[in-house]
Amino acid sequence: MSALDILLVILRIAFGAFVPLSFVAILVWMERRGAAFFQDRAGPNRCNVLGFRAGGLIQNAADGIKLAFKEDVIPGHIKHKFYFVLAPMLVFITALLCFAVIPFADVLILGDKHYIMQAVPMDIGILWFLAVVGFGVYGIILAGWSSHNKYGVLGGLRAAAQVISYEIPMGLALVSLLAVYGTVNLSEMAQFQGRLLFGFIPMWGFVLQPLGVIIFIVAAFAETNRTPFDLAEGESEIVAGYHVEYSSMKFALFFMGEYVAMFVSSALIVTLYFGSYQIPWFNTETLVTYARPVVIAIMLGLPVIGYFFGEWMKRNNRSHYYRENDPRQKETTVYIALLWSLVAILEIVLLIYLVFAHGGVADRILVALLQIGTFLFKTFLMCFVYVWVRWTLPRFRYDQLQKIGWEKLLPLALLNIFITSAIIVSFG
Amino acid sequence: MSIKVRTVERKGRTFLEQLYLVEVIKGMTVTLGHFFRNLLDNSRLYVRHYPEVEPEITARWRGRHRLTRHEDGSVKCVACFMCQTNCPSNCIMIEAGERHDGRSEKMPTRFDIDLLECIYCGYCVEACPMDAIRMDTGIYSVTSYSRDSMVLGLEELLETPGAFDEEEYKKGGG
Repeated sequence: MSALDILLVILRIAFGAFVPLSFVAILVWMERRGAAFFQDRAGPNRCNVLGFRAGGLIQNAADGIKLAFKEDVIPGHIKHKFYFVLAPMLVFITALLCFAVIPFADVLILGDKHYIMQAVPMDIGILWFLAVVGFGVYGIILAGWSSHNKYGVLGGLRAAAQVISYEIPMGLALVSLLAVYGTVNLSEMAQFQGRLLFGFIPMWGFVLQPLGVIIFIVAAFAETNRTPFDLAEGESEIVAGYHVEYSSMKFALFFMGEYVAMFVSSALIVTLYFGSYQIPWFNTETLVTYARPVVIAIMLGLPVIGYFFGEWMKRNNRSHYYRENDPRQKETTVYIALLWSLVAILEIVLLIYLVFAHGGVADRILVALLQIGTFLFKTFLMCFVYVWVRWTLPRFRYDQLQKIGWEKLLPLALLNIFITSAIIVSFG
Repeated sequence: MSIKVRTVERKGRTFLEQLYLVEVIKGMTVTLGHFFRNLLDNSRLYVRHYPEVEPEITARWRGRHRLTRHEDGSVKCVACFMCQTNCPSNCIMIEAGERHDGRSEKMPTRFDIDLLECIYCGYCVEACPMDAIRMDTGIYSVTSYSRDSMVLGLEELLETPGAFDEEEYKKGGG
């Protein structure tokens, strides 16, 4: 193994481990501010460090510190302390492990070496995901059971029943998808989606599988225990469900696990159905060939985006009541200075690339970075859909949930398999 | 004689509504509209930026109590114990003393209101025959760091000014 190999292994594993973790902070922020805006409220916007509130992100740091310093209670009635401690870890680790097989850029070709851009470059792809995500519910069941609490057990049971029933439509939706792609390897699936249908429509999964994408998204919502399927923690009837006895960082692990799971399932939905890291109409080879025009377009676009973002900040980041020497306006000035220096740095880097480094390896790395950006952006949007659904739809009743799973989604998924296989057999 | 019967139309039974997805998307469009309206210009949020921007309190609002005085500065209260007797939460504690300014025979030497006990029902104000106790200070946020400081004494009650003029207070039914 050369130094480059080792470096790339480290980079990929770091990406696979730390991106979901940093997204937890962003997602919690997005959930709280998003929820507020959906409901015409302001959300957390007071917490600051030296007057800098970062749009409310500092609140996350405050919450994190609070949770870390809280007393870690293990109630006296709990007999199986080992399982009690194990449960939140299981939830968190399984959620994190799922991300290991998701590709975040096309195969990186440096010289004559090929690097598959996954944290763990495995061929089993989607099977790994199904195996690990199914394991995640053990954490919830274990938490509910070892809490020795009626609410906990009820929550755990609900979660178990729900995940088991929704794994079937999910798996069946995947069957027809696999028939289309002809592979279980997520990298190959992503490459498949770089092609064009009839020469002008990007061949993304949701174009080929319009019914499958609905079934899969619904099932994925249920798998992550998010609204409208979050009755495992229904506050109104079973208090908090499986994590009712947990406090401090153990609770935080459940909390973070939920958001990591949400991020990972968004990433999976994007990978399977929304073109993964592919930029529509620009597959990897096109991007590499036309690297210079693309870079020039980015260099032209960056200041425009920066301008509009800055204007938006000026309009919104101020006090909406009379205040002498509004500190929020000073804050905005700093933010805008930061924004423009970021734009300037990017421009300089791109300029250096254009003048000195274009062609060959630099092109490949640039395209990989672009694709990582695209992938993260798409995943971010999908996470927003999760938040959006959560603050729109009410929770299902338990029987409604089972009815939808078994009586609606399951037949639909089977129908989808028949239609898909009929089309594949007759046309291709 | 016929009873008017209005048949309420049952919603949610058509095929499209039973399909659920269409309705979900409709609902999500509504919330997304709110989201972008607020994201693009957050001055449109329906919120009051509370600690800085305070709500307007009307003269009828039952805030913290105060004791009133006559024009010449003497205490209106005659220590008749009406308010203390009437108080459902027993938060008023009066001790009466002799009065020498000729207005009546008694005046309070001690008048404590325990704000932690008070339920702000306003019965003391209604019971008072002298219009001596009022809840028109406009103070709605009663907080403190210690239990002791939540008990108001005679001096404090007399010092607190009213937030409204006489005209407005009378209009509020006082």
